[in-house]
Amino acid sequence: MTSVSEARLMMLGWNFRVAELAVRERVAFTAEEVKEGLRGLLGRGLVSEGVILSTCHRSEIYGLCDVERSAEELTRFISEWRGLPLPELSRSSLQRDGAEAVRHLFRVAAGLDSMALGESEVLGQVRQALLLARESGATRAVLHRLFESAVAAGKRVRAETEIGVHPLSVPSIGVELATKVFGDLSERTVLVLGAGETGSLFARHAVEAGVRDLRIANRTLSRAQALVERLHGTAVPWESVAGELPAADVVVGTTASLTPVIAREQVENAMRQRRGRPMFFLDLAVPADIDPGVATIYNAFLYAVNDLEEVASENRRRRAREVPRAEAILDEELEKYLSWFGNLSVVPTVTDLRRRLEQIRDGELEGLPAEERERFRAFADSIAGKLLHEPMRRLKAERDASRKLDRVEAIRHLFDLDEE
Amino acid sequence: MEWHPLGWLAVLCYLGAEALAIVSMRRPRPSTGWPGALLLAGGLALQFADLRLEARALGSVPYRTLGGSVSLFAWMLAIAYLGLQIRHRQQALGPFLIPIVIGSSMIGLLLPFRGSAPTPETRGTLFALHVTFAILAYAAFTFSFVLSLLYLIQNRQIRRRKTGVLFARLPALEVIGQMNRTSVSVGLAVLTVALLFGGVWALRVWGDLTDPKIVWAVLTLLVYAFLLWMDRRGWEGPRVALLSILGFGVVLFSYTVVNLYFSHTHTFR
Repeated sequence: MTSVSEARLMMLGWNFRVAELAVRERVAFTAEEVKEGLRGLLGRGLVSEGVILSTCHRSEIYGLCDVERSAEELTRFISEWRGLPLPELSRSSLQRDGAEAVRHLFRVAAGLDSMALGESEVLGQVRQALLLARESGATRAVLHRLFESAVAAGKRVRAETEIGVHPLSVPSIGVELATKVFGDLSERTVLVLGAGETGSLFARHAVEAGVRDLRIANRTLSRAQALVERLHGTAVPWESVAGELPAADVVVGTTASLTPVIAREQVENAMRQRRGRPMFFLDLAVPADIDPGVATIYNAFLYAVNDLEEVASENRRRRAREVPRAEAILDEELEKYLSWFGNLSVVPTVTDLRRRLEQIRDGELEGLPAEERERFRAFADSIAGKLLHEPMRRLKAERDASRKLDRVEAIRHLFDLDEE
Repeated sequence: MEWHPLGWLAVLCYLGAEALAIVSMRRPRPSTGWPGALLLAGGLALQFADLRLEARALGSVPYRTLGGSVSLFAWMLAIAYLGLQIRHRQQALGPFLIPIVIGSSMIGLLLPFRGSAPTPETRGTLFALHVTFAILAYAAFTFSFVLSLLYLIQNRQIRRRKTGVLFARLPALEVIGQMNRTSVSVGLAVLTVALLFGGVWALRVWGDLTDPKIVWAVLTLLVYAFLLWMDRRGWEGPRVALLSILGFGVVLFSYTVVNLYFSHTHTFR
């Protein structure tokens, strides 16, 4: 029979901390490949349950496998499947067992292991990984519960700490500052100068933040048009930028121009027409698109890339300060999961042990006369019951879940329960 | 000193609302604030009941004693805060504004309530309306003062890119500015009504309008009216906030110095 205690939980992966991009690129899986991989792992009996988590920064295999299965076998499978040299794969892999594998997944789900500390995208990816594995019929109780617990733990960390509150990217910091001036941005007009990479990145961010009136000006109008088509904005001819200023609450400079595109006088004029309502300038261009003198105009806010990068590093420190609180929450959730995992295996172990003792008893009772057999059976049961009582009580009372798992494993080994 | 069980219960309600507001502020995602609003409304009802008991005993609105007038002021503050919270659906400023309600409620309860019986001319409805409206106007101006301070603080945080706790917890400049606009508009309208009632009463009783307190009240009116005008003329923002602080200075001056040294009729004795 296969019970949980003879199986072990294992994580084998290649992530940005241990593996180079060249390796990571080749072990990155599409959704279809994840299903194919899971079929391969289950088909070869390498795991009895499996989930593959594949994101831009990590590919990790979570498996419940037999004790004698090793990480090397899993690595060999990946190596053959993806056509990668085994030594290279082994060298750059990360392996975690048992409680450590659980903790690793919880930390990943909470964004603690992410490149951008505390990011939330990975939580959805963890959920997606479980979904794919379920569709492939690769999960049962243990991994299903593991991934659901990981998602719950990740959610708790997001809700109870500020690890995801302070933005890290320059565009999102820009949006946050603008929100603190105007409040809701959905009724505001945002004018983006330049439809290049930075311009389209910011424009996308603004739309995600709820901006509905997005205007994009570019020297080549067709590029602006192509961008606004995707984002439901308005393209503005380059010559009309000055005319657009009075209507713009937020102006974002992202052009490659060598001289400022927006002069102080233009902003002063715009301000007069706006009757002094605040204007917010983000200069994401190097060299600057917006005359620095704009900062001294009443009710004009001006930020350059450097300013926002300072905020970004401050926010990184703020997020880092939340890590201990996040880890404490994960400890609690880890304890819950491991205790469930432990209980799962104590009951079948006790049953197996009782059956074992009954076999021995019955062997000894063979050949005795019937009336004596009854007496000795009662006698033997009484001794067995008393002998087992204390160890079983202690086993059930053990509160350190990972230690409980160890002890269940020890009992199975010492009483040879797995040979049946 | 009298014991005001209802008044102190009201203070407890306000404390509860403040606690909820602080808890909500400390959460990454603030809650809707309905429990807090209900507690505030409960406090308002209790404080009203307490003031009504006092009014019965005195035979008039309790504005003649220091305790009574401060309690009335506290009650008006609570009304003004609840109005602001409902109007702007903002409870982020609760932690800063509710303590003013709590503080003035407690001061009112600790100061002597019972005073001399009202003189015949201060018994009428006209006089009571004048005082009640004037106190509501001062409550609105008090909030305008605090909102302006918070505006200047948030403005400074944004300009200096200090994106810390205060930055995160205080609402957007636009929101604080709008709340300030509401406070000043309400204060201005109510003070005008109070002055009209007061003026009619003064003409009837004194026969003239030369009391220094009246002059200062008109000055207050002018400062805040100028502020609203400026707000529409392109000075919205820190300048309006500064002017609102100046306006409150005038209010304080008329409430204290003018009352104590210049006016012989506008006192709380």
